[in-house]
Amino acid sequence: MDRTLIPISRSKIEKINALPTVPGSFKSISSFIQKPSVSLDKISQFISKDPALTTKILKMVNSAAYGFPGRISSISHAVMLLGLNVVKGLLLGVSVFEIMEKMMSGLWVHSVACAIAAREIACKLNIRNPEEISVAALLHDIGKVIMILEYQKEYEETIKEASTAECLIYDAEKAFFTETHTTVGMWLAGKWNFPRNLVEVISCHHTPHLSILAVKETAIVHLADILVRARGIGFAGDHFVPLLNTSAFETLGLSNNDIRDVLVRVEETKQVSDDMAS
Amino acid sequence: MFPRIIPLRVNDMKKIPMDKIEPGMKLAKPIMSKSGMVLLSEGTELTEKWIERIQDMDVDGIFIDAPAEQTLSKEDALAQLDSRFKLLLNEPRMADIKSILRKHIEGLYG
Repeated sequence: MDRTLIPISRSKIEKINALPTVPGSFKSISSFIQKPSVSLDKISQFISKDPALTTKILKMVNSAAYGFPGRISSISHAVMLLGLNVVKGLLLGVSVFEIMEKMMSGLWVHSVACAIAAREIACKLNIRNPEEISVAALLHDIGKVIMILEYQKEYEETIKEASTAECLIYDAEKAFFTETHTTVGMWLAGKWNFPRNLVEVISCHHTPHLSILAVKETAIVHLADILVRARGIGFAGDHFVPLLNTSAFETLGLSNNDIRDVLVRVEETKQVSDDMAS
Repeated sequence: MFPRIIPLRVNDMKKIPMDKIEPGMKLAKPIMSKSGMVLLSEGTELTEKWIERIQDMDVDGIFIDAPAEQTLSKEDALAQLDSRFKLLLNEPRMADIKSILRKHIEGLYG
């Protein structure tokens, strides 16, 4: 395959609020969360002003992807329980829902399924903040959303290429663009002032051996992505299961039974995503 | 702070539209108002009276206890599983994962 790679520059992606293809509602959320001064209070107020957003976030936090046993019935309660970074991530996650549905059908379901799987794995491992891992999984493919918004025709060709050449979308991206969705996602997450471990999960979910700060979290999202694709839930851009990184898998020390439990939990994806869409 | 383990439910709830609701059905998920308040909690057995009330509310469907329906036939589901793994035929670790999935998918069909 011989073609000139389409250049994607960091400065252009970081100016997401100036990209003409990005919908206005998403821009306002994006410019809100990138402010370093965002506090629990401010984010609560911001969400509460928008009833549709409020409903979506409450549905999400009360779903299997978060699964608090008691109902969370207000945004201020959710913010107190989950913390700033999780709520920021949720806010982004639910606000890209419509873009995902419109531009790349199946990516939202894939993302929700990964959030559910990642949370279940984190719980198996008794990790202290399973919600943070769940939100990292929800956002792990955010780079794809921006790529398909900004380079719609080219990205659709990339998806077609992955299908005809029978390869992973991650590899097809390398044949079309100078950067992949993992790098684009990393730039965005940095721009949005997410903590470094979350940025690393996004940048290393296909290359968990490169993770330094968030080895376990990255391994969890790497495995969640593979299990969800293996189960065939949603669409991440290709029809194949990526190769599991053995050392990342071994870091987690899960048994076959644990994996079975994760798969059972992932079956709840359809209910969660149907519920969100209604 | 919170119990992290929620009981696993396999295959045991589905969403049904408002006109299919019948007395005696049990809610698998709470019915909530737009603002997130619980109106009827999980496990409630629906009576005629409750159904009337629900139908007056702005909800598009409810979750009840029932086997979830699989949209694919078992044969198609397993064939698609094979196809998804076809780039990884010589990877022992992936073969293990695939066999767990195979059993899992077969289990969904009872």
